[in-house]
Amino acid sequence: MTTSLFFVQLINGLQYGLLLFLIASGLTLVFGVMGILNLAHGSMYMVGAYLAWYFVQQTGSFTLSAVISAIIALLIGIVVERTLIQRLYRRNHLDQVLLTIGMIFVFNALQSILWGNDPLGVQVPDAMSAAIPLTDVVEYPVYRLFVALLCVAIAAIMYYMINRTRLGMLIRAGESNREMVECLGIDISRLYTIVFAIGVMLAAVAGVIAAPMSSIVPGMGEHVLIACFVVVVIGGMGSIKGALIGALLVGLVDTFASVLLPQLSSMMIYILMAFILLIKPQGLFSS
Amino acid sequence: MLFNNRTERYFVWVFFPLALLMPLFLEQNTFYVSKLTTVMIFAIFVMSLDYLVGRCGLITLGHAMFYGLGGYIFVMIAPEYEAVNFWVYTFYICVIAAAVALVIGFLVLRTSGIYMIMITLAFAQMTYYFFSDSLDFGGNDGVFIYVKPDTSLFGLSLFDLENPTHFYYLCLLSLFNTLFFFRLVTRSRFGRVIDSIHENPGRTTALGYNIFVFRLMAYTMASALGAYAGYLFTLQYGFVNPSMLAWTTSGSALVMSILGGIGSIYGAILGVLVYEGLHFSLEHLTEHWLLFMGALIILMVILFKNGIAGYLEKLLERR
Repeated sequence: MTTSLFFVQLINGLQYGLLLFLIASGLTLVFGVMGILNLAHGSMYMVGAYLAWYFVQQTGSFTLSAVISAIIALLIGIVVERTLIQRLYRRNHLDQVLLTIGMIFVFNALQSILWGNDPLGVQVPDAMSAAIPLTDVVEYPVYRLFVALLCVAIAAIMYYMINRTRLGMLIRAGESNREMVECLGIDISRLYTIVFAIGVMLAAVAGVIAAPMSSIVPGMGEHVLIACFVVVVIGGMGSIKGALIGALLVGLVDTFASVLLPQLSSMMIYILMAFILLIKPQGLFSS
Repeated sequence: MLFNNRTERYFVWVFFPLALLMPLFLEQNTFYVSKLTTVMIFAIFVMSLDYLVGRCGLITLGHAMFYGLGGYIFVMIAPEYEAVNFWVYTFYICVIAAAVALVIGFLVLRTSGIYMIMITLAFAQMTYYFFSDSLDFGGNDGVFIYVKPDTSLFGLSLFDLENPTHFYYLCLLSLFNTLFFFRLVTRSRFGRVIDSIHENPGRTTALGYNIFVFRLMAYTMASALGAYAGYLFTLQYGFVNPSMLAWTTSGSALVMSILGGIGSIYGAILGVLVYEGLHFSLEHLTEHWLLFMGALIILMVILFKNGIAGYLEKLLERR
């Protein structure tokens, strides 16, 4: 592998990892605070991508479409939490798995009713359609760099929010002791609604910004969900820091494996996961 | 008596005689016979999952891995153009699947709860991608089976696997045996330790049992049975493909097992019958059957916690 190819793969891996982090952080946040395993999390990623496509068709602007999609995702999150997820708090894992599988079915059916089953595509926004030449033959698209930077920015905002704001303080308190937070006179169910909606929005935003880079197809949600599981299992369920490290590891391993070991590429991340589990059954940063 | 309660006894006495006579009613219609055969096969699979989830408390979302492996092991070890002996290969497949389950179980059972759900799913996806990417096994198209095994035992051939009705009876017999087998297991010393682990792992450990070993044994046993179901499915349709390993197979099996009544074992048959019945009729009514199926699952979780078996028991048992 030449240096420039290595460099390109490195950025690709980091960029894919950062995108995975965006999705996985929502999954792990919801689990960490609310103790809910949301299998329909991947469906939100899919919904984000389809919404992005729809509003780009309607408005012609990618930025506007992204904003509208994020707001709709937030609303979906609030409605789903209020009507369905709230019934799960005192139930076991099995009920959570089942109910969220039901949600996957519903979202997949709605997707096929509303948008059909043909693959769709979103144009890269004009302002970012250029590519940066790295050598004479190798160049790197600006949009992918933008995605990487955007993910870093969102991660930084999340870090700030969780560690420095009042909402973040409540989230951390909710993570360690649900009853105590309630006793202090804080409306925990409102907090849960907010956390769940933020989780849904993170997944949907990831879907929106991934839309111009990949084709929008049915089943894209499940594919990404499984990758997120690997990320949170490696990183430790409920830990945002773990999700970041896990996502970057998965992104890099997946990208380099598809260049170096094409026969094993789609299995490589699971092998990595099994290996880490052998050493640390609870993940790298379990809380 | 071998039955746990009156409901189960009624069910067995109604279901199996009816199932025995069914092909007579459906004489003209091989379509329904083969549909029912698939229901039987899936009921074996769901039953093995039900034991794991309901009796051992080991929630797995990767049980389809063994279902698919049952088929793939067969195409791996059986010669392509030569009829092999069904019973011998049943033995081979169960042993190989059990060996695989022993290794996977060793890794998976180190974790519990949410982690176990995700890790079993990830292992199942790993095998899914392995087979769907592999050129040796036909990728997404899978592998065809040209020659079905013959079922002679001591020179006596009871079933002709090419004949749908014969195949139906083979599957019915297998289903009955599976139910019987699990009844024996739950009544044995082993089954009681498993129940006690489910009830209270801490206390069972304190009584001197190594709960890891017991869980591993249960996992291995259920996985081998799951592989047997997959092997039957492969023989029925004459092919194996990666969709058998897909996580949706595990997911719907889990739904069926809950629908039937988790942990009741015989409920698996009810769950599969009702789920497949709904699936079949909704599919005929609308192409968006998935929407209704999803909504039904959600409603079921919210309203119908103990499944059909639980509901029947409430109706029939007077305490």
